[in-house]
This record gives sequence, C-alpha cells and structure tokens, in this order.
Amino acid sequence: MEIDGLKSLLSDCAEDKDMCAMASEELTEAFGQEKRLLHSLLKSFLPKDDDDERDCILEVRAGTGGEEASLFAMDVFKMYEKYSQKNGWKFEVIDTKESDLKGYTEASGTLSGRGVYGKLKFESGVHRVQRVPVTEKSGRVHTSAVTVAILPQADEVDIVVRNEDLRVDTYRSGGSGGQSVNTTNSAVRITHLPTGIAVAIQDERSQHMNKAKALKVLRAKLYEIERRRLHSSRSKLRSEQIGSGDRSERIRTYNFPQGRVTDHRVGITHHSIDDVMEGQMLK
Amino acid sequence: MSRLRLPLLSSASTTLRRRRSPRSSYSSGAVITSSSASHHTPPLKLQSPLFLRPLSHSASPSALLSFRRWAESLARSSAADLTFDGGPSSSELIREISWLLQDATSQDGDTFLLRTDLEDLYRLWRQRIEERRPFQYIVGCQHWRDLVLAVSEGVLIPRPETEEIVNLAARVEGLQDGMWADLGTGSGAIAIAIARMLGENGKVVATDLSEMAVEVAQFNVGRYKLENKVEIRQGSWFEPLQDLQGKLSGLVSNPPYIPSSHIHGLQAEVGRHEPSLALDGGENGTDHLLRLCEGSISSLKPGGFFAFETNGDKQSEQIVDFMTTQWSNSFHDIKIEADFAGIKRFVTGFRR
Ligand SMILES: C[S@@+](CC[C@H](N)C(=O)[O-])C[C@H]1O[C@@H](n2cnc3c(N)ncnc32)[C@H](O)[C@@H]1O
Repeated sequence: MEIDGLKSLLSDCAEDKDMCAMASEELTEAFGQEKRLLHSLLKSFLPKDDDDERDCILEVRAGTGGEEASLFAMDVFKMYEKYSQKNGWKFEVIDTKESDLKGYTEASGTLSGRGVYGKLKFESGVHRVQRVPVTEKSGRVHTSAVTVAILPQADEVDIVVRNEDLRVDTYRSGGSGGQSVNTTNSAVRITHLPTGIAVAIQDERSQHMNKAKALKVLRAKLYEIERRRLHSSRSKLRSEQIGSGDRSERIRTYNFPQGRVTDHRVGITHHSIDDVMEGQMLK
Repeated sequence: MSRLRLPLLSSASTTLRRRRSPRSSYSSGAVITSSSASHHTPPLKLQSPLFLRPLSHSASPSALLSFRRWAESLARSSAADLTFDGGPSSSELIREISWLLQDATSQDGDTFLLRTDLEDLYRLWRQRIEERRPFQYIVGCQHWRDLVLAVSEGVLIPRPETEEIVNLAARVEGLQDGMWADLGTGSGAIAIAIARMLGENGKVVATDLSEMAVEVAQFNVGRYKLENKVEIRQGSWFEPLQDLQGKLSGLVSNPPYIPSSHIHGLQAEVGRHEPSLALDGGENGTDHLLRLCEGSISSLKPGGFFAFETNGDKQSEQIVDFMTTQWSNSFHDIKIEADFAGIKRFVTGFRR
C-alpha cells in the first residue's frame, strides 16, 4: 500500500534531505486523503437522519475573545453564506447583532436547498481562530472562539405552538400609538412561556416580518429540544465517531498566521485558509 | 482576506425587494419637495422610491464608509434633542443608516453602485436629523407586513398597529370571494394586503379624497400586479361607492382619528411632515369614524363585516357605545380588539 511504501522510503533515505522532505510531505498528504476518505465513509455508514433533507437555521455566536471573536463570527457567518451560494442554496439573513467594530456578537440565517441540514449538521460546535486582531497593536496572535449551531427547520406541522404559550413583546411608544407615532423600531421578542426560550428579531423593517422570523427560529429551537430528547439514546455512536452536534465540541481551528485550518473532528489540516473562508472547502 | 468592514448588504433581504422591476410611471429624476412643511404645498410629481431607482451612480468603499461614520456621529450627537417629543433614539437612527445604505447601494466587487449620488445621501440624512423628515419619506418606502410600499409626502406612512386589521379581516369566514372596501386607503396598504388574501373572485375598492394618495396607491397596486383585484377611486368616504350600496362583504378603514387639539403636540416626524388630512379627526377625533359607522349600514350586505381602527381605548369604547345604543338593530357581534401594545385599537362587527 502507498503509505507503507512511503514510510520505508522515509527510513531509507535518512541521508537525502530533499527526498526525505518530499516523502514526508507526500506521506502527510496521503494520510490526509485517507482520513478524508474514512470520514466520508463514516458519514455514509451512519444511519441517515430523518431530518437530513430539511432546510436549516444557522446561528453563529461570538464566544471568548471579545471584539475579535465578533469579527471572526462575522467571517464565519459569511463563510457559510458563500458556501451556500457555491452549493446553489438559498441563504437568508434572519438577524444580526453588531458589535462596536461592526463584527457580529450574534448572527442567524436560514439556508434552504437540497439536503442542507444533512450537509451542515456536523458544523455545530466551537470554531477557534488564531490571528492578530485588527485591534492588537503589538502584533500578538490571539485565540478566540465562536460557536456555531445548525438546527433543522420545522414547520407548523412538526411543532405546534399555541398562542397562549407565547408572550410577544414589541416596541411601545407610550401614549396613544397608532397615527400619533412615527417609528422605525419594529423589533419583536417572542417568549415561549413553557420553556422560557426567547427569540428577539429586529433586522426586518416591518413588525410582521420580524414576528414571522422570530416564530420560525423559535419553532426550530423547540423542534431541536424534541429531537434531542428522542435521539439521546441512539446518538452515542455518532457522537464518538463523527461529532455529536454538541455545541461545546471543537470543530475547527482557523490559524491565519500559518494559513491553515485544522478540522478537529477528523484531524485533517487544510493549507489554504483563504479558500476555506471563501466557502470552498468545507467537507 | 479583506478586513475592511463595510456596510455590507445582506444579500437576502435585498433580493426580495429588488426582484420586481419598477413599473413606475414617475420619472426618477423628478424632484420631490424637501421643505419641512411639505403638506401645505403638495409636490406635483412623485419620485420613485430610492430602492427602485437605477444604479446610475458609484462611490468608493472608503467614501461610503466616511458617509456612514459622519451619519452615525450626527445621529449620536443629536439623538438627545430628538427623543424629547417621542422622536427616534440613537440606536434606531443608526439602524436607519444601515437601511438607507441597503436601499441606496449595491456592491459590485470593490466599488459600490448607488441609486443616488453621495451628496444626496448627505443631504437626505441632514433632513432626517435637522428637519425630522420621517425615514420612510427619505427612502420613499415603508415595509409593512410582507409588503414594501412606496410612500411620499402627502401620504400617511402606514403604521405597524394597522398590520393587525388585515389579520382581523383574514379571520372572517365566508366572505373571501366578495367585494371589500378600504376607505381612506392612503398608500393602499390595507387594500393590497387584503386583496392578496382574498379568494379568486374577491375584489377590493379602495378610496381616498387625496389626489396624492390615489396616485401612490395606484402605483403600489401596480407593483403588486393587483390591477385586476384592487380598484382605486377618488372621493369622500361613501360618495364613490354609490354603485355598491348594500353589496359590500367587508368594509375596513383607518380614518383620521386624532383629536384636532392634539395635532399641535405631535412628534415632529408626524406633526410637521405627514398630511393633516390623514390625521385630523375633528374635535374629539371621532368625526370620520362616526360617518363610517353610519355609512356602513347602507353599504354592507347582510352578514357583511367591518373593522375600524381608532385612537384607542376610550375612543373604541365610545364607538361601540354609539353603535350598540343607536344602531343595535343594524349590527351584531360588535367587538373591541387590542393592538400589540394592549391598547383597544379596533372595533369590529357584522351587519345584521
Ligand atoms: C390615517 S390615513 C390611513 C391611510 C391608510 N389606510 C393606512 O392605514 O395607512 C387616513 C386616510 O383617509 C383619507 N381621508 C381623509 N378624509 C377623507 C375623506 N373625507 N374621504 C376619503 N378619504 C379621506 C386621507 O387622505 C388618508 O389617506
């Protein structure tokens, strides 16, 4: 087999440095390929998730690392946007909360297309970035993190939310309202009283649209709770081998100074970080 | 990768609005009045909404970025002066800047294409802050329900409260294929939203006294390709509906309902810029509402539904009182419905 051949070549050529370097590079490459193969094999062996064909909701949240994490959260959010364009999926921004430097402390979007959820579900988890933040004067590399959550979309049939269970908060002008008031504030927050889950949306320019989006996200969250409850017993294999979709799991490290992206779930390193960020190489 | 952070447009939210090609009969070069008292001298020509104008200008990212910085700092430094009469907060203004840029620009590689020149953007934002010109007039549109409606000085900017009147109409059963009327239609908001949920044979007649409103409503009806479903007529309340006496399945209206004495103290965006014809409801605000209640007796068919928006609470109760005491044999199931803020905003019921 190729790998064995390369290994022996490595041990044989201790004198020839160039040859040695080449062989070792090829070896890494071959390992990478093998792992990738294994990874896709594993994926294909896994029982297909009933929800794989669904559209999904993407949530990116800045974690540790302050402003730099927010800037990276925006990069990651855009990375998925580009990835979805490359795949011919439809990407719609649900809501973004901007940080001081115009990064995102939180951003969410919907992705629709064939098999979107199945293709993206293993992205859920922690994405680490190592780079020199724009705000850093001394040129020191920082490590920050963002978390990504991928939720399958659910419709009225999957999740019935009763009106009585919802509290809807909107901007209130005080006073008479109606014709007396001009406002562009159409923010809506919907709280699901039984679970306490609250979703706030403000990016749309009509209250009606903000409310519709908030309900969509809320439904996906309730559906996810239900899914986890149902799947908890049979998800063990998956969590050991390929990632549980658990939000605390490490997914990738994006190392900008070295131009590489390491996929922790399979231990593969890509050496073209720009391509990854442009949505080219997610596997 | 580029670390320059620009007011990037979310591709998703822009496609929806830009997909439709403008079917405007208004020339995009026409000048709109910018005077703060524009409703006294209505402009003769409308300008099409910013987001529908052609991308005939351009600007560098850095020029746009400095516009954004300037606009934000003006917003921050002036907000304190604006909020005293209920005007916008600085965070609301900053969101408006994003939306202004969303409507005015489109990114093409490293340059930005603009639908108006950069100078105009500066001028518009100064009007927003210094003259308190409503944001919706600045961009020429209001997002309302799932619609994007052209608006212009001389026409009321549809309110979020009014979105609910469409839900109230949608709940009624068995009238989807009948004839509906939206009196005082303004931008056409209610008429268009109702027309979109009616059945195949359902139609809406939308009326307004204001010529400007008629023009804007017609434009919006055309943009949503509803010419066959919504008919616009000009005239005072029931006067243009002579031919429909006793034939209406539904009647909805958001008539002017602010008591005359309150007009003076209104928030500057409203009091100084929106037409008083759309706001002033007479001494206690109920002049038009009472006309509408009375007129609906002869225009609704038996079983027909009505929904009116009011100034809230007391005014709604007053209308209900009046209808139940004066015209109890004409109506049934008269109800008050609240708006999202819990204010008793709407009066609904059925013709006997
Ligand atoms: C509060 S605005 C409502 C506009 C629109 N329906 C909306 O909800 O956005 C009231 C409308 O009634 C119109 N109006 C005022 N007096 C009228 C009359 N006598 N007959 C018909 N319409 C009238 C005004 O021009 C204005 O468009």
